[in-house]
Amino acid sequence: MTERNTPPERNAPRPAGAAIEAAPEGAASIGNDSTIDFGFRAVPREEKAGLVRQVFDSVAPRYDLMNDLMSLGLHRAWKSAFVAAIGASRRETLLDLAGGTGDIAFRALEGGAGRVILSDINPSMLQVAQGRALERGLAAGLTFLCTDAEHIPLPDRSVEKASIAFGLRNCTDKPAVLREARRVLRPGGRFHCLEFSRVEVAALAPLYDAWSFQVLPRLGARIARDAESYQYLAESIRMFPDQESLAAMMREAGLERVAHRNLSGGIVAIHTGWRL
Amino acid sequence: MSDITKDAAPAGEVDPALLEILVCPLTKGPLRYDRAAGELISDQARLAYPIRDGIPIMLPDEARRLDD
Repeated sequence: MTERNTPPERNAPRPAGAAIEAAPEGAASIGNDSTIDFGFRAVPREEKAGLVRQVFDSVAPRYDLMNDLMSLGLHRAWKSAFVAAIGASRRETLLDLAGGTGDIAFRALEGGAGRVILSDINPSMLQVAQGRALERGLAAGLTFLCTDAEHIPLPDRSVEKASIAFGLRNCTDKPAVLREARRVLRPGGRFHCLEFSRVEVAALAPLYDAWSFQVLPRLGARIARDAESYQYLAESIRMFPDQESLAAMMREAGLERVAHRNLSGGIVAIHTGWRL
Repeated sequence: MSDITKDAAPAGEVDPALLEILVCPLTKGPLRYDRAAGELISDQARLAYPIRDGIPIMLPDEARRLDD
């Protein structure tokens, strides 16, 4: 119960957590207290959430189509592997953070999760999710919640599983998200993160670079008429901490027995950690 | 939904199981459900969080200040 009375540390100093080795020269150096990465740019911390929100307001209607195009359909396999790893059972509640248009939540319900709280900071993404849930005939066990993953409106120890897929890199204060996820987990509960990571297969790297920085923004311009938003998405992928840095950040947040598994040569990785 | 006035749930139905456990995102303290106004009120934070289309919008930036 002690955690419940701890006020959020909105302006507390934060460790310089993000790895920037993958960013090109001239990319914003980040890590001081007043600025944060927004793709390769440094922006004032208080502005990132609004900028990210604009990106997702802009991409929401075509987000699912774009995910297919951008990942050549691979995101479906990654998400299925992720939901299998979560393995939420009939008796368990899954809190999906930054759950967007519902890909993880729907798969989890279809895979037998008892209850899923689909949460996102962006109401436009949740509206798209509501429409998709109707189309799929999913209602039982599905709950929608608009929240910032840094300030979750749930009591301590209230869910068995927590997840965030392709969401953590868009959060301003990643350590705060990890601490909050741990806080709401019951002891014995597990946190799962699916996120872009560091490619560990050398032969893949040049191809991946060309895809990210040549093809993606053009796809965004043609399909979604929004090159800037997709430029941000490509850049934010490269600014995200690598496998070991994220694992360290999770341990720092109090998660235990932290482990990770690469998918597609490390283009993405699944990180897990327990609240014990 | 917002332009339709209904006695039951003007702001759309919220999952009752969720309502039972929700707390204020800032104080982690209890919330009062004002069904008529379609708001979740945090007395400690002096904020009223709106419910839109059945979705609780638990963002302080979107909340109404009770002092106003």
